[in-house]
Parts: sequence; C-alpha cells; structure tokens
Amino acid sequence: MKQLLDQVVMEAGKIIVGKEHTLRLALTCLLANGHLLIEDLPGVGKTTLAHTLARLLGLQYQRIQFTSDLLPADIIGVSVYHRGEESFQFHPGPVFTQLLLADEINRATPKAQSALLEAMEERQVTIDGSTRSLPQPFFVIATQNPAHQIGTFPLPESQLDRFLMRLHIGYPDARAERVLLNGEDRRSLLEQLDPCLDLEQLRALQQQVARVHVSDALLDYIQALLKFSRNSPRFNHGLSPRAGLALINSARAWALQAGHPQVLPEDVQTVLSATVAHRLHSGSDTGVREGAGLAQFLLESVPLP
Amino acid sequence: MTPNELGRRPLLALSLITLLLVAPHFARLDLRISLAFIAIILLRLTTLYLPRLHPGRWLLLGITLAGAALIFTLYPLLMGLPAKVALLALMLGLKLMECRRRRDLYVVVFLGYFTLSTHFLFDQGMLLVAYVCVLVIGLSGLLIEASRATSRPGWPLHSLRFAAGLTAQALPIMLVLFFLFPRIEGPLWNLGVDNSIGKTGLSDSITLGSISQLIRSRAVAFRVDFDQTIPPPRLRYWRGPVLWHSDGRRWSRGRLMEPGPVTYRSDADPVGYQVTLEPSPNDWLYALDLPETLPVGATLSADYQISAKNVRNRRYRYVASSRLAYHTGALSERQRRLGLQLPDTITPRMRALVAGWRAGTGGDAQLVSRALQFFRSEPFYYTLNPPLLGTNPVDQFLFDSRRGFCEHYATSFTLLMRLAGIPARVVTGYQGGQRNPLGNYLIVRQSDAHAWSEVWLAESGWTRIDPTAAVAPERIERSFEFDLDENADPGVPVIFASADSDLLRGMMQQFRLGLDAANASWHRWILGYSRQQQQSLLQLLGFGSLSEFKLALAMVLATAALLPLLLLLLRRRDRIRPDPVQGDYVKFCHRLARRGLVRQPHEGPRDFARRVIRQRPDLQRQVSAIVNLYIALRYGPSDDPQQRRRLHQLVRGFRA
Repeated sequence: MKQLLDQVVMEAGKIIVGKEHTLRLALTCLLANGHLLIEDLPGVGKTTLAHTLARLLGLQYQRIQFTSDLLPADIIGVSVYHRGEESFQFHPGPVFTQLLLADEINRATPKAQSALLEAMEERQVTIDGSTRSLPQPFFVIATQNPAHQIGTFPLPESQLDRFLMRLHIGYPDARAERVLLNGEDRRSLLEQLDPCLDLEQLRALQQQVARVHVSDALLDYIQALLKFSRNSPRFNHGLSPRAGLALINSARAWALQAGHPQVLPEDVQTVLSATVAHRLHSGSDTGVREGAGLAQFLLESVPLP
Repeated sequence: MTPNELGRRPLLALSLITLLLVAPHFARLDLRISLAFIAIILLRLTTLYLPRLHPGRWLLLGITLAGAALIFTLYPLLMGLPAKVALLALMLGLKLMECRRRRDLYVVVFLGYFTLSTHFLFDQGMLLVAYVCVLVIGLSGLLIEASRATSRPGWPLHSLRFAAGLTAQALPIMLVLFFLFPRIEGPLWNLGVDNSIGKTGLSDSITLGSISQLIRSRAVAFRVDFDQTIPPPRLRYWRGPVLWHSDGRRWSRGRLMEPGPVTYRSDADPVGYQVTLEPSPNDWLYALDLPETLPVGATLSADYQISAKNVRNRRYRYVASSRLAYHTGALSERQRRLGLQLPDTITPRMRALVAGWRAGTGGDAQLVSRALQFFRSEPFYYTLNPPLLGTNPVDQFLFDSRRGFCEHYATSFTLLMRLAGIPARVVTGYQGGQRNPLGNYLIVRQSDAHAWSEVWLAESGWTRIDPTAAVAPERIERSFEFDLDENADPGVPVIFASADSDLLRGMMQQFRLGLDAANASWHRWILGYSRQQQQSLLQLLGFGSLSEFKLALAMVLATAALLPLLLLLLRRRDRIRPDPVQGDYVKFCHRLARRGLVRQPHEGPRDFARRVIRQRPDLQRQVSAIVNLYIALRYGPSDDPQQRRRLHQLVRGFRA
C-alpha cells in the first residue's frame, strides 16, 4: 500500500515540482476522507495540484470558478421547465462529481459559499424538496487567495471548520522553479498522466486508515494538545472535539502513508499545522492570520505525556 | 429485557449477600424464623434457575401473611428486639422474592444496610465489626455494579475495589465523628435485650456446689492492668462478697455491714491497677486484698467489700489500689458477735475435734495452724465433682467424704474456727488469674472463682487463711489448667497437668491469648471510649474541656478540614500513573541528556532517535533497538510483558 501511495506522490511530483511534503499532506487529507482547502497566492499551482490529484486517483473531476456573481444554482444545478414534457427537469450542477475543485472560493458571496459548504458537510443536496445524494467518494478541494487580497469574502470560522486541512503551497525553491520554467507546459503533462489508483483501491485505503492503531498514550497526547489550546491565553478559543477527531484521522492517514503500523506523536505533529492552523485564532485578535505560528506554538508547548 | 430489569447475576449476588446479612442473627432468633428465612432464600435461588417455580402474587401474599403469623405467635405483641429483628429478616427475604427491577435492588440494598446496623444492638465485638465492614463493602459493590449501564462479564472486582475505596474514604470522617461526637452517658444499648450478658458470676451467697458450677466456665470475669509488676499468684486474692452467716448449708452475707470509716494499718507499698469488669448481674466490684483507694462513686464496707451503683450488666472499668500486707486493728463487738455465729448443725464429733486441738495448743495462731495441719495430713482431696452430701454437709465432708473444693474447705474451716472461739468469716472472690504476655495484663476467668476464710487474730487482725492451699497448693500457686470433664466420676481427684506440655495446645493457648489481648484493647479503647476519655483526649489536643455545642462545632470543622485532604488524595489518584515502559524510556532519555543529547519535551521518540543518531552514529544500533521497542510497546497495539522486560534490560545496559 505504501508503495502505491509513494507512486502517487512520485507521479504527482513530476507535475508539482519540489512540493513532496505538501503533496503527501494533500493525499493524507483525501485518504482521511476530508476536504482540503489550499490557500495561497494566485499562480503557485493550487489548481494544478487539485487537478493532478483528481487524475492520479482516477476520480471524476469538475471545476467551478467562484466569482462574486456566482449563484447557488450554478453549483448544485437547476430545474428547467420542459415544454414538450410539460414538467420540470433537473439539470445537475458541477457539484455532482467525485472531486470538485472550487477555485477561489473566497471570491464568491457567502450565499454561494454556503451552498457548497452544505453539500460538503451533508454529502447530499436538496433541490425543490427532493434530496439527491452526491457521488461516492466526494471530495472538495477549494482554493482561496489570502484574505488581504482585494475583493474577497473570507470564509467564516464555522465554514473553515468543515475543511479537514488547510495547506499552503508556497513558492518553489530555485531548482524546482528552474525545472518549471524550463520544462513542458503543465497542462499538457497533465493530459498524459495515467491514474495510479482505482475507486476500489481508494476505498480499501480509506478503510485501512480507520484501522491504524491509536494507543492510549497517543490519545493522552492529543487530549493534552486540546486541553492546552483551551486553557492557554494565547488562543482566542480552544480546539473543538471535531478538531480533535480531525487530528486523529489525519494522523492515522499520515501514519498509513508513512508506513507506520501505529500512530506516533510525530505523525500528529506532522499534520498538526495543516489540521489546526485554520481553526485557531490568536487571543489578541489582530485580524492577521497567524494560524501556522499558533500551531507551532501549540506543538512546542505541549510535552509528550 | 428492559435495561432496568435485573439479570440473574445481580439477583444471585443479592440473595447470597442477604443470607450473609442476616446470618449473625440466627443465633438470636427462634430456630423456626431462621429456617423460614433460609427457606425463602433457597426458594429465591431455585427460581433463578427454574423461573416457573416462582410463586405468583397471591401465593407470595399468603407466604407473607404466614410469616407474619409465625412471628406473632412466637413473639406476642412483638415484645423485645428479637421480635423486631425477626420481622425485619423475614420481610427482607420476602422483598427479595419480588425483586425484579433495579429499583427493587436499591430497596433491598438499603434495607441491608439497615439490617447490618441492627447487629450492633446485640454485639459490638471486634469480629462483628470486621464482618459488618466486609458486608458494607459487598453491598456497596453490588450497588455500584447494579448502577452500571452495561455489566461486564466475570467477577465484578472493579466494583468491589471501588466500594472498598469509597469505604476507605469514609474512614477519616468516621474517625472524626467517633472521637468528637458528644458521648451519651449511660449504656446506649440498654434496651432490655442484652440477654447474653451478666449470666455468670459470683453470687452473694454460697451453697456447696455453687462455685463448682461457676468454675467450669471459661468466661472472663474481669481483666486487670497493673501500674507496675503483677504480684505473684499467692497474693492475687480478688476480694468479693464477705459471708458471715451460715445456716449449716448456705452461707450468706447476713445483715449487711454498715459503711463507715474503714481503716487499717499497713507498711506495704500500694499496688495500683485498673480493672475492666465484664458485665455481671452484681453491684459489687473486686479488688485485691485489701483495697485502699476506691473507684469514683464506690463505697467500702467495714468488711472491705466494695459496692457501687450502676455497674450491673455493663462492662465497667475502674481504677483502684490495694495494699497486700495489712493489720486491721481491733475487732468491733458487732463483728465479734457475727464472726462467732454458729448454725444448729454442729455435731459432737466436730466439737470433739476442735476441743482436741484446743487442748493441745496455746494461742489462736497455733490452733489455726493445727487446723491446717489437719487438712493437710488427713486424706482430703481436691475435686470438682464432690459426692453429694446429705443433710449435714459439713459434718459429712469433714469426717466421711473428704472430697471437695474451695468452698467446702473454706466453709468447714470457718465453722471449725468459730467452734474454737476464733471470729471467722468466708470471703468469696477470685484467686490468681492468667497473665497475658501479649498486652501484659491479667485475665481473671470465672474458673478462677474461689472462696477462702478469714480469721481474726489478736496479733494480726483479720488474717486470710486459705485451707484449699493446704490441700491443693497447686490451685493457689499457679493458674490451674485441667480438663473440666463433666462426666468424671464423683470424687475423682483433680490432676494438675502442666499446661504447656503439648505444642499444639501451647499454640492454641497462644492464639487465645492474642485474641483476648486484641479484644481487651478493643473494649478498652473503642467500646469503652467514654465522655471522660473524650475530655482527656481533647485536653491532650489542647482544647480543654468543651461544651457539647462546641464539640459539635469542632466535629463539623474537622470534617470540613478533612474534605480538602480527600480532594488532594483524589487528585493524586487521577494523575497519570507512571507506566513502566515510559519509566524506562525516561531513564534512557536521562542517560542521553547527561551526554548533552537533551530531548525536547515535545519531541517524539522517532524524531529524537533520528537526531541522536545523527550526532552520535556510534550509538545507532542501541538507540534504534530501544526506540523501536519503546514505540511498539507504548504506541503499538500489543503489550507483551516479555518485550517490556527486554526494554528494561536494554535500557539498563545502555551507556552513552
């Protein structure tokens, strides 16, 4: 299994050059059956990353470009009156897919945002009184620009919480950038990419994630982390039990793809920043997103029990 | 089955514990009640496995009515505590029959707690308290187990441990309440039920044979703690009723001597001691010959007999002192008259005997030794089974049967002295006693009951003469151990066996003494904890004497002060217990830290190992072996004791 996952990462690494760790985290997020939020500047490869993962995992793929005039119907679909049949017929929107890329999600109005986020949480949509299930599996990879960019509607905390992880990609290092600048067009490379996994394998992997052993000692550690975040004045509010679950699930998925038979504190620490940074706020709220720093502070403040 | 319905296991446990709850009462209840109770429990147990045998509602009502009828016929009007206990026991058993839901179990358990407390109405001994404690833990464990949402298979050891913990936590508060609760004066349990106490003891008169009945009882009469060394056996005469009047068969106190100023001369040092008297039906106290200082509230009669009020049927503890050598001074006219009283059963042979002695000797003292010589040289035997004596027992004893024990010797000797014109009287009491080396006190049993004689001699006043000592000096010199054989033929002389001849018997004896010492302390410090002792304890703590209100206040405050202590204890328990695996790992980290490789508090074992190996490649093999084992043990699913030991050895052998 580990080889399979390593292969996915290797293949993806041909397109997203020099970002192996980020790729592994993104993969971890999908293995843990969670949604992924990628926050970074435009042009660092957010969309490409999402697209690459979709190709490699062999998933149906749809993309919505969020804009300020996007309507919920543009996401979930619309019922149209057919004259000939004298009835309404539902035209499914782009949300009916296995992997949805929601590009620049914070450029849309809260109304459109919440339509998507509801679908993410429930894994089904309700239109005109009838409930329609979304395909299985259903992942959302959303990208957003940093909050200080012009014309953004930042996601509220409650909605950020729906994402298992938030990742930053960051600029590539010099060598990777050289490869990028020198190499072929990424789009055409993507077209040549073959899927490494099929649906069955993905499902088996997800089941395996749930079986990775978590010992009492590790639960003690996670509880210590949660407790510290709730008691320390550095944080505006502590981590929720959902955050704790997110932490355990991500750590399990990470342990699986790192080849550990059990979850180690290091696995938790590796996924900690990605999992909790978007859920933490500084106690002295300056409005600046300083989640990563807070996560690091949390990590270094809590001793292993 | 709804979650509130009881399964078989809790019902089985409840039935068995109910049986144990009532068991100590069996001895006090009518046999029929006990049997009925056991039958109900057996029925309950049977129906657990054969539910179709469960009696219906109407049959159960019938059984209940029959049980009530039985109790009312056995104990009309429900008089006395045993009647109430019988009612409680039967109804407890019947409640068990209709126990179906968890709520019923709660009712039975609370009734059980109540039933436990009823035992103390009858007995407050150490063993019973231990028994009750065990059952309290059992009941609480049952309560805890029944309150669980899901029951676990196997023995409910966890619940029992929890219950024991709860009981232990209650202990400090119990102690505070015990030591500070205002003591109620007087026998708290004096509810007319103590039929087990005060059965045996000396009476204020003797007929021949009354002491030999007493002497067969191993029951404890009293225990004595001496301030200094215990006097030798031949001086341990515990003075009880003094008998003046004889009608030939029966000796009694006659007209009681009036209390008055009592004096005697003595050069001996006083001997101080404390006596713990077992419950007896009498109102006199025992003291060594002759008492000097008396317990509070007691009076001394002219014949040196201590009597006190409110000592009947309760364990009574008193302090006294005596002087063991004395001169009582002149004889009052009244005492001379009483001391020379003769019954009308004097025969010519008795007169002839005494006249013969009188003729051959000079003074009274010589005559006394001549009489003792008579008992010593003639074939008198000491026996506990004397042959029956006819209408004139003294005459028959002196000249025909010549088999008897202390009371025969004391009474006949006293009569002979009176015949010789020497004022004499019979003194009853106890002689000797067994020293308990565990606790260093004296146990005086009913079997030490004794009677001796006192004669008045001009040169020494009232003088103790023990004719039994002339016949059987072993009886006086040491506490005697012999088989109290009920079936021995009349007149068989007692063989004074050496007590420690047999190893097993010696061990038994040792065990009995140990038990007695524990019981004595229990009675002395726990049951005998009186208002005076409470006051002196408070004084010792520096509170001085407290009024009852202040005492109650102190009780509340002390309990309140205990609570934070308990909280602290609870917090301690909640702290994560150091796991041996973790302990080994910490030791390993310590050893590395001494070499400058300090683990960050948040650093995981794999990261740390990687860092260590990077800096000290030479340690790679050892470090990775230890860390891999540690990771498997601490974070892995398996918990193999063998691997744990291996980790321990690896860490012990690790040198950085």
